[in-house]
Amino acid sequence: MATTTVLTTESPDRWKYLNNILTRRGPYSDETFEPGDEPKAFLADLKIFGAGGLGCEILKNLALSGFKDIHVIDMDTIDISNLNRQFLFREADVGKSKAEVAAAFVMKRVRGVKITPFNCAIQDKDDEYYKQFKIVVCGLDSVEARRWINATLVNLVGEETLIPLIDGGTEGFKGQARVILPTISCCYECTLDMLTPRAAVPLCTLASIPRQPAHCIEWASVIQWPKEKGDLKIDMDDPEHVTWLYTKALGRAKEFNIPGVTYAMTQGVIKNIIPAIASTNAIVAASCCSEALKIATTASPYLDNYMMYTGDESVYTYTFQHEKKDDCPVCGNLPQALTVDPESTLEELMEKLQERPETTLKKPSLRTSAKSLYLQAPKQLEEQTRPNLEKQLKELMEEGDELSISDPGMPFNLRFIISFSS
Amino acid sequence: MSVPGAPTAKEKKYDRQLRLWGAGGQEALETAHILLINATAAGSETLKNLVLPGVGQFTIVDQAVVTDEDLGTNFFLDDSSIGLSRAQKACELLCELNPEVQGHFIKDTIENIVKSSPEKLKDFTTVIATGDVCTDTLLSLDAILYPLGIPIFVVKCVGFTMSCRLALAEHPIVETHPASTVDLRLFNPFPELSALVDEKTAFINDQEKMTTHEHGHLPYVLILLQTLNEWKSTHDNQPPSNYSQKNEFKSLLRSKMWNADEENFEEAIAAVLPHFNPPSIPSETRAIFQDEKCTSLTKESTQFWVIARAIKEFSEKNDGLLPLPGALPDMKAESKDYIRLQNIYKSKARADLAAVVGIVRDLLKGLGRDGGEIAESEVETFCKHAGYAKLIRGRSLNEEYEKSPKAQVISNELSDPTSLIHYYLGLRAYEAFISEQSNAQRTAPGAEDSTVDADTEKLKKHVTELLDKLSITYSSELLEGTEKAIGEIVRAGGGELHNISSLTGGVVAQEVIKVITKQYIPMNNTVLFDGISSRTTVYQL
Ligand SMILES: [Zn+2]
Repeated sequence: MATTTVLTTESPDRWKYLNNILTRRGPYSDETFEPGDEPKAFLADLKIFGAGGLGCEILKNLALSGFKDIHVIDMDTIDISNLNRQFLFREADVGKSKAEVAAAFVMKRVRGVKITPFNCAIQDKDDEYYKQFKIVVCGLDSVEARRWINATLVNLVGEETLIPLIDGGTEGFKGQARVILPTISCCYECTLDMLTPRAAVPLCTLASIPRQPAHCIEWASVIQWPKEKGDLKIDMDDPEHVTWLYTKALGRAKEFNIPGVTYAMTQGVIKNIIPAIASTNAIVAASCCSEALKIATTASPYLDNYMMYTGDESVYTYTFQHEKKDDCPVCGNLPQALTVDPESTLEELMEKLQERPETTLKKPSLRTSAKSLYLQAPKQLEEQTRPNLEKQLKELMEEGDELSISDPGMPFNLRFIISFSS
Repeated sequence: MSVPGAPTAKEKKYDRQLRLWGAGGQEALETAHILLINATAAGSETLKNLVLPGVGQFTIVDQAVVTDEDLGTNFFLDDSSIGLSRAQKACELLCELNPEVQGHFIKDTIENIVKSSPEKLKDFTTVIATGDVCTDTLLSLDAILYPLGIPIFVVKCVGFTMSCRLALAEHPIVETHPASTVDLRLFNPFPELSALVDEKTAFINDQEKMTTHEHGHLPYVLILLQTLNEWKSTHDNQPPSNYSQKNEFKSLLRSKMWNADEENFEEAIAAVLPHFNPPSIPSETRAIFQDEKCTSLTKESTQFWVIARAIKEFSEKNDGLLPLPGALPDMKAESKDYIRLQNIYKSKARADLAAVVGIVRDLLKGLGRDGGEIAESEVETFCKHAGYAKLIRGRSLNEEYEKSPKAQVISNELSDPTSLIHYYLGLRAYEAFISEQSNAQRTAPGAEDSTVDADTEKLKKHVTELLDKLSITYSSELLEGTEKAIGEIVRAGGGELHNISSLTGGVVAQEVIKVITKQYIPMNNTVLFDGISSRTTVYQL
């Protein structure tokens, strides 16, 4: 058997320390762990997938964990503001594909590792593509992308297939790492209610009674831009656009005597910038990849299933088992309960849904088992169902009906059992 | 195209971190010089996380040459490095990460430097010791650096385990970054605020003289203050003090609503519990005021202590109140009313600041120092954080090891098999094991399969010796948790696992940044991480 070939092409000493762990049983190792050449060989043959803003750290860590066949997907190009933490990129790389530059760098540095980069969105790949991996490690920054990969891996579960998803995320000095065994342990969707929804500023505040610098900035982007620029979309990365918004916001602030509008704040508000530093990224990505190594080799027990890290006040971790939800729209089999006001309109219901993190969707379409309530596409059906938006819910559904919501960004439907508030 | 206020190239590069520690923190980072002892994987990863955000300089001390084993764990060495100086090669590859950072290397051991040229150590802002450094050297380093106030991080990273010990005598933090610094002064309104309440709420109960729009846009702070006046007139001039009174007060607020959707009244009701607290000086601030360095200033007193003393004197003259931070949360209101209210708080904060600045100047002159040597902006930052400042008093390594070990902290944890204190004992035993050997042919416990059993017994013996020295009683057999910790440490054979080293590099760099910028709160004084259960614990040892 050509099992141990990859690990031994380099000097036998190179992986000595990793091999200590793989060839020796530890006091906490699972009974099924058989130390020796087998875990090493398995590690070398296993295909693993990485993606996201933690991509640089993840690729480095996987390559130095003995994984040899790594795929990486990233649709982003390198921006100057990435350089304070995404350590595989240099100033000369700004504008190039993140996936390609990162893959080339790690392959050059770590001999014997093969990294296949794709410069696209994770959603551009299908089930067949994801099926080839044994483990998926993601440090994605968008909730939408994380819900998508989570649902995709849950849908792939079958007799032969169960792909663990290791998910990490950071914000400033805080971060979390988690292990998701699709359909077995709590999934990403199960915990969506942990996200705090962003409190939206009422439109009337923006339009007539601004008090904060952020109100002036949002006024510039939400009200003034469409008014003056028509259909032209704001490009958050175009300095001319940002400057335009900054100047408008500054004028607005002056009019109302509101201090504090700055260029950096303008960028922060319109792009919803989340602070990010090298150290937290390192902690979270390393935690994720350490779990990948433990799962791949069974050399030590893996995380079950969630670790939170907080570094702004001392060093604090909270490691716990998050519960799987029976009514999770992705991995559960029960619909959720939803109480609605029968007098309110369908349009009002759709606005209400936007306030909850688990139902914040881009272009939701709503159906009951009996009929389509509102469909976003195709155009013809959208026009047909549009009048329903004005109708009261009691005209459209009955108590006990199952309401199903789909969205082009989500590979699953949300299901609700309707009850009327009195 | 140049827009006033647009970011410079450097601000663009560091944008995501400047949002955390600002220009002041960045400046501190850029003037720092870090000494790394040994270019281990954990050490190199720590430097990576300091070079990326733009630390000023670093120096690596390491006599080792690069081996194949290094390449399996350390990303900042490559095939061409084998056989060459590890300090030099790691320095070169780390420097590639950020052209603004200066890297240096010294091909020597820290033992030699401590013995032959200890004065060199005084030039560094922070020292990070990684890899196998024997106890004598660590204690010598501590004896040199601790009295100078130079922080030392001692990092151990073996297999799935890591520990990081910070030895730093005194660390005052003004910018602790609390979630909010709002103080609305509801229980002690100042005259300008009371005057505004009288002016704006005279007709709060009069539908003839106030429009619905005006009523629905009264800032909630004014509503609370008006209602408090009303309450106090029927309650012996006392504000609501207990939970049931606060609920009663909420009902009173509710009764003043003209219709069900007056958001400003809802905001007022929601503010009762968080903001109805009698004024008091938080215990951390009180500890600073009572510290001897605050009560007896000297010619050498640092800026922190002079300002702390000035704020203490200010509060003594102002009924025990700290200077007003001046922040006001957003609330439903007309723009002009909100801005006016905001300006009233800001003016009061400025007046308090001016008073504190005056005291600072007088104190400095009284000490025979230049009255202007402390910038007003420094006093302002302190005034804004007076109720949130924190003082960390650390312990030296010599105290932990020799003079006054915290035996109680250790013995309290021993019987818990899941406690990470077992890894502390295991790593102390590891250190004792390598400290017994001469520098030249040092091997780690479990380095070869053939030595695993014998080395395990040696580590156990080191743990029992340590427990005996600390007069900690234990059953004749070592406890299960300690046995397992030793088992994991020997299993690794002294080797690092890259993921654990990388995580360690993240944790250590984050603590270094907090210490250097004097922002946020560093751990005090030992953090242990177990990569098997994915947990950390901080002990004060
Ligand atoms: Zn789920």
